[in-house]
Amino acid sequence: MANSVNLTVKLGSLIFKNPVLTASGTFGYAAEYKKYMDLNALGGFVVKGLSVKPKKGNKPPRIVETPCGMLNAIGLQNVGIDRFIKEKLPLLEDVDAHIIANIYGTKADEFVELADKLEHIGRVSALEVNVSCPNVSKGGALFGKNPNDVFSLTSSVKKHTSKPVIVKLTPNVDDVAAIATAACDGGADAVSLINTITGMVIDTKTKKPFLANRTGGLSGPAIYPVGVRMVYEVYEKIKVPIIGVGGIYNSDIALQYLMAGAALIEIGTANFTNPNITVEIIKGIKEFLEGENIKSVGDIVGIAHNA
Amino acid sequence: MKLEIFENKRVAKDTFSLKIDNPALFDASPGQFFMVKINDFDYPLLRRPFSIADFNDRHIEIIYKVVGEGTKILASKQKGEFLDLLGPLGNGFGDIEKNRRIFLVGGGIGAAPLIYLSNVLENMYGVNYKAYFGFNTKDEVYVDFGKTATMDGSLGYAGNVVDMVEPELDENSLVLACGPTLMLKRLAYVCYQKKCDMKVSLESRMACGIGVCLGCVVETIDKDFKRVCVEGPVFDYREIEWQTL
Repeated sequence: MANSVNLTVKLGSLIFKNPVLTASGTFGYAAEYKKYMDLNALGGFVVKGLSVKPKKGNKPPRIVETPCGMLNAIGLQNVGIDRFIKEKLPLLEDVDAHIIANIYGTKADEFVELADKLEHIGRVSALEVNVSCPNVSKGGALFGKNPNDVFSLTSSVKKHTSKPVIVKLTPNVDDVAAIATAACDGGADAVSLINTITGMVIDTKTKKPFLANRTGGLSGPAIYPVGVRMVYEVYEKIKVPIIGVGGIYNSDIALQYLMAGAALIEIGTANFTNPNITVEIIKGIKEFLEGENIKSVGDIVGIAHNA
Repeated sequence: MKLEIFENKRVAKDTFSLKIDNPALFDASPGQFFMVKINDFDYPLLRRPFSIADFNDRHIEIIYKVVGEGTKILASKQKGEFLDLLGPLGNGFGDIEKNRRIFLVGGGIGAAPLIYLSNVLENMYGVNYKAYFGFNTKDEVYVDFGKTATMDGSLGYAGNVVDMVEPELDENSLVLACGPTLMLKRLAYVCYQKKCDMKVSLESRMACGIGVCLGCVVETIDKDFKRVCVEGPVFDYREIEWQTL
C-alpha cells in the first residue's frame, strides 16, 4: 500500500508534494542544510528574510535560551536581494522543492521593489511578505499591527507579482483574525502565522536586558499553543489557505496545526536542534494518516472545528 | 549521531571530563567543536557547543564546566548512556608554522581545546611549544602540563596568565589562545603591542552551530559580523573588533 496517502497540498497555482515547509530565518538560504538532510523531501522552504540592500543585523548578544524556547533578535541580517539571486539561488538549481522568498522592507516601495526583482526569477515559487518581524526598528511589525497598512501593502505587492503572495502575521496584536482578513482583502493568496512573540530576558548579574536589542522574538515549543489557537481563530474568518508556524518540533504538533486549520506548516527553531526534523515530521504525518485510514492530508485540515 | 558515553567524571571543581566512543567515521582538528544535545526531549531545547579536549582512535573527549542547567544535566549522565552529537563543526587552529615560537595560552575551561592542540603539535607536527594556563584557584586546575597561574596564588604564578606570558612574547611568537573574553581582550592588546601573531578561539552562544541562525556573530574590524560557528571559532585576532566584546 505504498503511496496510499495523498500528502499533496495546493496553494493557488502551486502544488506542494507535502505540507511541510521551513520557516524563514531558521533555514538560511537552504543550501546550508544539504549536508544534513534531503532538501527534495520538503514541500518547500522559506529562505531568510530578504531586503533591498544587504542588512548587517543587530549587535550581539542576539539569542538567549528560555525554558523550551529561545529569544532572538537577529535583526534580519541578510545578503540583500541581488546577492541572493546571484549567489544563493544557483546553489539550489537541482533541488526539487518550492522556494519561497521572504521579503522585508521599511516602506511599501521597498516591498514592491523586491517583488519586481523576483518577478522573473522562475526558481522562486512564491513570496512571503514579512509584516511581522519584531526585531527591527522600522517596518516589519509596524505594518503588521494595523489592518489598513496590511491591506494596502498586500495589494501593492500583488500588483507587482504574478506569484502567490503569502502574508506572514505577527501574534503581537489583539485581533489576529482582523489582520488576516485585511491581508485577504488585499489579495493575499495565503497567510502564515505566527511570527515570534515579543519577549525580554534580563540578566540579573548585569541588571540589564540580556539581548543587545533589549527585546526579542520568542520561538520554540513554548509558543505552539498560541500558534495553534491563532490558526484556529483565523480559519473561521478567511477563505485562503493558512500556513501554520510556531513551535512545531514533532509530528503531533504539526498535526495539531493542520487540525486547527493550517493547510501547510513551517518548521522553525526545531531545525536548529535537529537539522533532519522536517523529514521526521513528514514521516510522522504520513504514519498518522495511514494509521487513521485517512486518504488525504487535506481531510484533516480544520477538522478540529467539527467538534 | 548518537554515541555512547564511555566515562563522565569530575576532574576539578565544577569541571568534568566526558569521554564518548569515537565511531571513527570522521576526523576532527583542534579548535573544532561539537553541538551536543543534552537530552532526548526538548529541555534544554538547544544543543550546547563544546570544544574538543582530545580526539583519538577510541574516544572523543570534551571537558566542560557546570555553569547552568544544561551542563548540570550533562554532569549527571552515566557511562553507557547515549548523547546526540553534531559535528565536528567550524574552523580549528589550522596549519601551524613550524619556525615560530609557539605559545598556548588558556584560561579556565578555555584550556580544554589547547590540550588536543598540544597533542597534535607534538605528535603530528613535532614542534616545540610553551603552554600557559590560568585559573582562579588551585582546585579549578585540570591541566597537567605547562605553566600554571592562579588568581589567588594557590598554585604557580600568582596573578593573571596574560601577565605571566607577556615577557616571553616577541615578534616571532605565535600565540594560540582560548579563554574568557576579558582574558582574551587583554591578550590581544599585549599581542598587538608585541607585534606577535595570535589565533584565538572564541566562545559564543549558539542555537544551530551550522551557520543559519546568525545568533553567534562577533563584530569584525571591517564593521561586519562573522559567525563564530562557521567562520570561527578560531580567528586571527586582528580580524576581531575587540572593543565590542
